[in-house]
Amino acid sequence: MADEALFQFLHYEVIQYIYKFPENGEAENGRSITKLENMGFRVGQGLIERFTKETPRFKDELDVMKFVCKDFWTCVFKKQIDNLRTNHQGIYVLQDNKFRLLSQLSAGKQYLEHAPKYMAFTCGLVRGGLSNLGVKSIVTAEVSVMPACKFQVMIQKI
Amino acid sequence: MTVHNLYIFDRNGTCLHYSEWNRKKQAGISKEEEFKLMYGMLFSIRSFVSKMSPVDMKDGFLSFQTSRYKLHYYETPTGLKFIMNTDLSVSNARDTLSHIYSTLYVEYIVKNPQCMLGDSLQSELFTSRLDAFIKSLPYYRAA
Repeated sequence: MADEALFQFLHYEVIQYIYKFPENGEAENGRSITKLENMGFRVGQGLIERFTKETPRFKDELDVMKFVCKDFWTCVFKKQIDNLRTNHQGIYVLQDNKFRLLSQLSAGKQYLEHAPKYMAFTCGLVRGGLSNLGVKSIVTAEVSVMPACKFQVMIQKI
Repeated sequence: MTVHNLYIFDRNGTCLHYSEWNRKKQAGISKEEEFKLMYGMLFSIRSFVSKMSPVDMKDGFLSFQTSRYKLHYYETPTGLKFIMNTDLSVSNARDTLSHIYSTLYVEYIVKNPQCMLGDSLQSELFTSRLDAFIKSLPYYRAA
């Protein structure tokens, strides 16, 4: 589909741009990843408003996470999260076995050190969506074998 | 029925990828010289074909064959050139080559942010999928 390729290419260009022009004192990797994550945060906030226009209120946190795994992921990546695990104490692990933004990159270990850059935006996306639904969280991602990846969501009790 | 080897060149003449499956005889020159020879020959043949064509040209140069092998040529609008040597039983490999371009090259190289245009193709994913695809062709049989 044309719009999927458009978003992918744009996403890659954004990553290249952020890494090519670090501002003064920003040579470390961490600041660029934070920028990408903050971009994703704003996009996620806006997206979740659109997607939940007609849905009823969520019963609890678990319901919110299930919505993110099913409807939100389907709207953005055209597939659902493959596995959701929780310890019922505020930590959720979302596993996607064929993450769309990584599936063209490699099928194993090649380019593994570059993978975090491509996950940062999506982490922000999830965090932004959750924050607009009233759930404050920290989202991190980990990749061991592409294109499978795991997003860990830690809910912050205010 | 078999595929011998495959070359991919970009529009500047750089050889982006080369793989062989069934090559019995080497050219006797280094790989770089072989790529330059192949590209130079194709460039000359294409301009020859277009100049000497007695009718209006549609696709231009498509293939040549000897008594032992046939060379198939496919060029994309972006200047990417795919050359495949097979044995004589393969009459038309254009669909195969255009499939390699659209399903393998575009998907795994163009859409891969780590692959810069003009660099040789490093992605292992591309190489393994290409290998699997060639081996699945109906006219491939490992000699």
